[in-house]
Amino acid sequence: MNGVVALEQASELAAFGAKAVSLGQALRDGLPVPPGFALSGAFVDAVAAADDAAIVTLVQQVAPLAGPLAVRSSAIDEDGAAASFAGQHQTLLNVLSVDDLAEAVREIWWSANSDAAITYRKKVGLFSRPNVGVVVQKLLAPDTAGVLFTRNPISGADERVIEASWGLGEAVVAGLVIPDHVCLSRQGQVRERRVGYKTVSIRPVAGGGTVEVELPLELVERFCLEDSQLEALNRLAGLCEEVFGPGRDLEWAFERGTLHLLQCRAITTART
Amino acid sequence: MRGAPIDVLERVPLFHDLDQGEIGQIALLFKERDFEAGETIIQEGSGGAAFYVIETGEASVTIQGKPHSVLRQGDYFGEIALIDEGPRMATITAASRLDCWGLTYWDFRPLVEANGVIGWKLLQRMAMMLRDARAGGQ
Repeated sequence: MNGVVALEQASELAAFGAKAVSLGQALRDGLPVPPGFALSGAFVDAVAAADDAAIVTLVQQVAPLAGPLAVRSSAIDEDGAAASFAGQHQTLLNVLSVDDLAEAVREIWWSANSDAAITYRKKVGLFSRPNVGVVVQKLLAPDTAGVLFTRNPISGADERVIEASWGLGEAVVAGLVIPDHVCLSRQGQVRERRVGYKTVSIRPVAGGGTVEVELPLELVERFCLEDSQLEALNRLAGLCEEVFGPGRDLEWAFERGTLHLLQCRAITTART
Repeated sequence: MRGAPIDVLERVPLFHDLDQGEIGQIALLFKERDFEAGETIIQEGSGGAAFYVIETGEASVTIQGKPHSVLRQGDYFGEIALIDEGPRMATITAASRLDCWGLTYWDFRPLVEANGVIGWKLLQRMAMMLRDARAGGQ
């Protein structure tokens, strides 16, 4: 089996992990996922071990993406409802070129073998060797990004819950801001709209990586989504449910007005 | 294919009884890992599955919040986790940019299981270390 495949060809869960396979499925069904590549767990192992042939293959195969890149972990057989690895494994944003990829892949391999990850694995009853795939995509420079639950993750109500902020979505995911909060009916009507308090955004930085940037005062309490964008998000939620079924947890981003899907997985916290 | 420098591994007591070929096999299992200054490498009480050898840089060791020692080039830590995956006995923090070689329990165990000679030598060395520890405690 090829250890590096275009994301739309990633279909083997045991090889590439849940994130890669769900993004591959989304691409095959026409959802707006940025193009990229999936690296199998075995291939990630080889790159982390500085296997020269694997590193050459990596650089050659991923070269069409050029940089900057987003490099994310795709935990294998473990990203399900019982043991979410969200936050345990590292994500590296703004990896400047494919030449820097091997080091980024090695860092992700170590994040799955870190003391924090090992402690978490034991807590959830996993005593096996961590196996982690990797997703490499072109890094977006979003104006607005965030998360969307296709069903209320707290109450279980049949409504869309959107949380959004300026810049990369990691500001929302990492809890660095109080995001704008919107509840939509399944038909797209706004049930609740609460402006957040967004003091920082995460932006790519010239030398690689990202940096927290203080936001101008006028943006802190300004709503970051227009009505047309809420409509687009509601349509995306419906399309994701058509492809993957109900109860999805999405990460999304608007870049120059275009909506991109960055992740789509099962909600793990909803009361059902 | 690379691996940790053999002369560095020869200084690790756990590996003292192994010959060059055996250490060479283990060296190939190591992977590079770098830390930024201030980064916590291992946390006292947490689970752990990796052993580290420092190639360059310095790391500080604290036990129950109190400064204990400083680790430098060629020093190593976490070797007991290679055998038992038990809780960490100290907190180790990078005092400068730190370049290490790391070996995980998952990579080490299959080699030992497949090679009885290496396994026996490690067992003997562990027994000797236990004997020394007991003598030191008396």
